[in-house]
Order: sequence, then C-alpha cells, then structure tokens
Amino acid sequence: MSAKQFEAFLARLYVDADSRARFRANPLAEAKNAGLSNAESKALENIDWVGLEMASQSFANKRELRRPRSRFSSLTDRLLRLISFLIS
Amino acid sequence: MAAADAVEEAAGVADAGAETMNASCDTVGIGWRPELAAGILDHHDRIDLVEVIADDFFGEPRRVRALKTLSTQVPITLHGVGLGLASASAVETWRIERMAHLVESISPLFWSEHLAFVRADGIEIGHLAAPPRSDATVDGAAENLLRASRIVGVKPFMENIATLIEPPGSALDEASWISKILSASDCDLLLDLHNVFANGLNHGYDPKEFLRQIPAGRIRAIHIAGGKLISAPDGTQRVLDDHLHDVPDPVFDLLEEAAALSLNPLSVILERDGSYPSMESLLAEVSQARQVLARGRTRRAERVEVPG
Repeated sequence: MSAKQFEAFLARLYVDADSRARFRANPLAEAKNAGLSNAESKALENIDWVGLEMASQSFANKRELRRPRSRFSSLTDRLLRLISFLIS
Repeated sequence: MAAADAVEEAAGVADAGAETMNASCDTVGIGWRPELAAGILDHHDRIDLVEVIADDFFGEPRRVRALKTLSTQVPITLHGVGLGLASASAVETWRIERMAHLVESISPLFWSEHLAFVRADGIEIGHLAAPPRSDATVDGAAENLLRASRIVGVKPFMENIATLIEPPGSALDEASWISKILSASDCDLLLDLHNVFANGLNHGYDPKEFLRQIPAGRIRAIHIAGGKLISAPDGTQRVLDDHLHDVPDPVFDLLEEAAALSLNPLSVILERDGSYPSMESLLAEVSQARQVLARGRTRRAERVEVPG
C-alpha cells in the first residue's frame, strides 16, 4: 500500500476527464491498474461521484484563472513600484 | 483604524477584565489584492494587518523590495498556496527555500500555508486538494512541516481547506486529522471559518461542534470570507468557497465561537478575490469582525469568571 500512489491516482482523477471516465466505468480495475492495494481500491468504490465531478470542475476553473494572473501581477508590480517611489 | 484604536473598540465592547487583554491583542486585516491596493493604502489606519500571497513574489527581487517598503506602512503576513505540505510525498527543498528567502526578506508577523496537497507524481492539480485523511498523510505532513519549519526558521500556521468532495480513502474525520498533524508538527492553526462552514454543509457536520473538536490553544489566525451555493448534478447544493461574496452571518457566528474558545490573540483576515464591493463595505466587514471578536471575548471572560 502506498499513500504516494494513492495521491497520484487522485491527482490524475482531478485533472483528467478521460481518467475519470475510465474510473467511473470500472473503478476496481482502474484502481488496481494504478497499483493501488485491494483495500484502497475497495475504498474508492464508495467515492462521492458527485463531489468528484464538482471538485474536478472547480480545479479546472482555478487552472484556467491562472492565466490572467500575470495581468494582475503586473498591476501589483506597478502599484508596489509606485508605493516605493512615493515613500522613498 | 490603528491597532491601538482597535484595542479601544474591542475593549469597550468586551468590558473590562483580565480576559479582555486577549481582545486588546486581536487584530483584523484584509488580504492584499491588486484591485484593493489603493483602498488599503488609503485606509491603512483602519486596517491592522495585510496578508500577502507569498507565491506572487517568489523569484521577483524587484517586487520583494517593493513589498518590503509596503511592510513599513502596514504589518504584513505571508500566505503560501503552492507548497502542498499535507502530502505523503516530501516537498522539494527548493520550494521551501523560496519561502525561506521571502520570510527572511520581509520579516512578516507570521507565515502560513494550507493543509493540502497540490501536486503528485508530476501532476499539478492547480489548486488545494485534500489528501486522504489517514495516518500516512499525518506522518507525511508532519515530516514536511518539521522540515519547512527548520529551513524557514519559523513554524507556519496551517490552514484547513474547503472541499467539495470528502477525500477518498480517508480513515480519520477532518477534526482528528487536523489535530494529529498540529500535534505531530507542533504547528499552530490558521482557522478558515468559511471553509469550516462550507465543509459542514457539504459533508453534513455541525461547524460549531467541529470548533469544539479542534485544539483551541492552536488557533492563532483566522480567515473569514464568503462563497456561494452551487447546484450539484444530483439536485443537491454545495457551498463553493470562491471568496467572491460578503461574509455570511453563520461565519461571523463561528468567529464569535472561536473567540470564545481561544485564549490566544487572534489575527483575522478578510479574504476577497473578486466581485469587489466598495472599500467602505469591506471596512464595514472588518469593523463587524472586531465587534464579533469582542463579543466572543466577553463570553470567554464570563465563562472563566463563573466558578465550576
């Protein structure tokens, strides 16, 4: 049993729709293919499917939001430079 | 409002007594966002502290110099979002060292991170995810936290996260898992009350009971924020912690509860990530937080004064 493998399996489910689809179609087989133990595979059979989809969507939205961050950061840059200038 | 004025306001509501000494040390501030910068600077006399996202400053020496200048105007805390310390995997040393350099440069009031993993086996999740709540992740988190504390030189306050899914493969409930990590790492808690509120609704527990289950002596800082209900495919609703809405009354109720439970001075941060209202509205929430804290401190003092 490996907690690291389990986290990696969850991460893949959270970011990859194809992995989720394969897992949904056959949870036990997918979990075992990922090297999870029988106990871990069994635990995943009772997964909160609705929560899995909602969480995955939320993570996808967050990844998408990262793109405009550079614009915000540049705004932060300008503001902080202005503060430095005004105070110095 | 300056910290000293905040002391007077809090103490005035809380009334005199030994326990109000804690209220007089409580501080309330706002999360730094570019859109709020002008408002924060215009009203820094009404804000006790500002929380800055540390990751925005990694490897950016010019920004760090500017941040250092800002820290002369208002006390700063650093909040990390990308370390992924609550993991069975060891966090790379270079990631921790980036935080260490920033902490050394800025000398914040404290630094904080999340009880979450954000990547595994090279896969970047892109946000904070809850690992399985198990003894393995307790051990992994504790090892990461001990190493991070050693490298940075200061222990972080660790924040509980909101989850739309009950972490699969969990053997421990959330309160027990958090308590075990804090105990094993000797780290204190940044208690996010909207996350407690959201998880309570999403996963069917009583948020106030949750507060009674975590070690009150570990609560050192608090986040307050607002989210929204979203519809699930099965017709139910869950709370999304999006920080785009005003702080709801149940979260202020939890703030009073936390203040009534804790003996520590508390640093409260209002988080807002978008759909920004006027600065006056945000300052009104800051003011409300001070009043609620004071009410909680009064309850705490009354409880201590009643024998038995």
